[in-house]
Amino acid sequence: MLNGFKNPGRVALIGGESEIGLSIVAQLPPDKSRQVILVGRSGEYALDVTKKDAREEMVEKLFSGKDLDLVIIAVGVLGKDPTLSAADNLVQAMDVNYLSTVHLLSLISDRMKNQAHGTILVISSFAQVRPRDDNFGYGSTKAGLDFYARGLASKCKGTGVTIKILRPGFVKSKMTEGLATPPFTITSQECGRYGVLALKSQQVVTWAPAILKYISVIFKSLPLPIFRKISQR
Amino acid sequence: MRITEAQMVSGWGNNFHSLSTRVVVTTHGEAEEIVSMATSNRGLLPIGALRSYGDSALNSGGTLIDVTALKFLTIDSDTAIATVGAGVTISELEHAALVHSLFPPVVPGTGYVTMGGAIAADIHGKSHHKTGSFSQSVLQMTLLLANGHQVTYTPSDPEFWATVGGLGLTGIVIELHIQLRSVQSNSVEVTEHRVANLAAMLDLLGRSDKDYEHTVAWIDLSGDYRGRGVVSLGNYGTKSVKEKSVTGGLSLPDIGGKNLINRSTVKVFNEIWFRKPLKSGPVALTKYMHPLDGIQKWNRIYGAPGFLQYQFVIDEGREEIFESLFTGLRGLKASSFLGVLKKFGAATQAPLSFPRPGWTLTLDYSVTVPGLEKFLQEFDEELVAAGGRVYLIKDSRVSPALIPAMYPELEKWRAIRSSMDPQRLWQSDQARRLQLC
Repeated sequence: MLNGFKNPGRVALIGGESEIGLSIVAQLPPDKSRQVILVGRSGEYALDVTKKDAREEMVEKLFSGKDLDLVIIAVGVLGKDPTLSAADNLVQAMDVNYLSTVHLLSLISDRMKNQAHGTILVISSFAQVRPRDDNFGYGSTKAGLDFYARGLASKCKGTGVTIKILRPGFVKSKMTEGLATPPFTITSQECGRYGVLALKSQQVVTWAPAILKYISVIFKSLPLPIFRKISQR
Repeated sequence: MRITEAQMVSGWGNNFHSLSTRVVVTTHGEAEEIVSMATSNRGLLPIGALRSYGDSALNSGGTLIDVTALKFLTIDSDTAIATVGAGVTISELEHAALVHSLFPPVVPGTGYVTMGGAIAADIHGKSHHKTGSFSQSVLQMTLLLANGHQVTYTPSDPEFWATVGGLGLTGIVIELHIQLRSVQSNSVEVTEHRVANLAAMLDLLGRSDKDYEHTVAWIDLSGDYRGRGVVSLGNYGTKSVKEKSVTGGLSLPDIGGKNLINRSTVKVFNEIWFRKPLKSGPVALTKYMHPLDGIQKWNRIYGAPGFLQYQFVIDEGREEIFESLFTGLRGLKASSFLGVLKKFGAATQAPLSFPRPGWTLTLDYSVTVPGLEKFLQEFDEELVAAGGRVYLIKDSRVSPALIPAMYPELEKWRAIRSSMDPQRLWQSDQARRLQLC
């Protein structure tokens, strides 16, 4: 349960190895009695996120006998695995970033509706703002996820359940190692701070960093040739 | 029976908002019916006037059984025994009793508490050093159990004591028999003393307990945190006084969710309160017992974020902990609008009853005070190390890991509770948060 300061007592991070996810958890207001469950590739809460049955079993396990106050869903791939073909990379990104995550959102929000409280924080991306030549596959998966999460946020009104969306720009992490760093790049530590702000915010969507909210408006309004020129830099 | 759609419910502190279905029962039969129909995995919880500060009376996703309409009340003036329904408030009992020159021996700072709530919290008042807590005036209680049966318990039954301070998690209190005491008038003969610091306050309270039925101190925890304040001492009076209705008076208007309590406003208020003329002479019992009831909905003063009340008890001889607390609060620049200090008398045998011999201090804070959560977590550990504990009916943030140390008979309570409710029908948000059962 939340305590009287509205801070969570039992938290699950799905994507237990995610640097952004771990950073958000680490920056929650300190509470020694908080139980944090890391759902990752190994350990007591190991999950192959692409398997439907495994997702269902995990959600059952997470909610059995105890309430969850906060679930952070931070699973995702960029779709740039050099050992896979472009098409397979795309399939994997769609599977992890969209299908599996949306399924988890649906399952978890249903369980939270039963307990009549809880917050889910979804990690979306700035990449979903407008298709860019270098990452529109990844962007499309995040756009789909973002779209669903916004719909779910609206649908959950009045149920006690809250959906929050964090839209980070480029975050320096293992996942983005070796990639060129664009303007407004932040560290996973900084991104974690925005994640905590997202939880306190009255808004559904929080940008990381905040200026991306305005950059996104500019990006969307630019004529395509100019946008392509800028985004290819 | 009236069943409302799921709605947001808050405790008195307004720092929790919980969505649940509410069923108002008007007869014992309706209460039995709703218990027998219960199917939700989120359980049921009996509630009264929602005067507990935190999440004791909340049950997210479950059902609240509102017993405030169970208003049965008769008084046998020969035996001075009142038979009361769970929804009767302390004020209602007081007024009915005064007609017979009787009065409940234990009443809390607000008269709005129901009988069911008074048992669930095992409330105490200014007379604790003489009379003990509320349960010590209860001769028997009728409880509606999870199996749908009504059972009457007396103080010789362990179920009686599991229900006392049991936070509503053993069943629905239907009816109580309360032993009243006789009074000669409707007044208390009051004497007040200003004291300059905590040491003087502790000394005066300690010395006065043998001569006075009612002792309590208002403590100023703002400014320099020396613990200056006003000690109030009283005995049942002989002169009747004209009584103004305490309840139903001024109501704090909705101030748009703004928190009006901050360092400056508390400082001004406390200065005025410290300087106000001292009372001496007869004061109406109900006014003296329930000073806060003069302003209804006073909890609005903390605005939308809400507030918490922190009350703990510590053994006599461990007074050094106050210094540590005051130093910490001064560091946070946290000023308390309401600080109350009192010395408790003997404890009951109820495993979860809060009062036990020692000093009890009560403080109110807005949840927006920066650093307060962390500080109280640290202070709790110090408190436990010194053998103290917090009052669960007021809690909204203690660590569940500390509860067994604060309440060493928790396991005993769990065993009795479990035998009374093996299917875990009775549930609350606080029970989930503190992993009580």
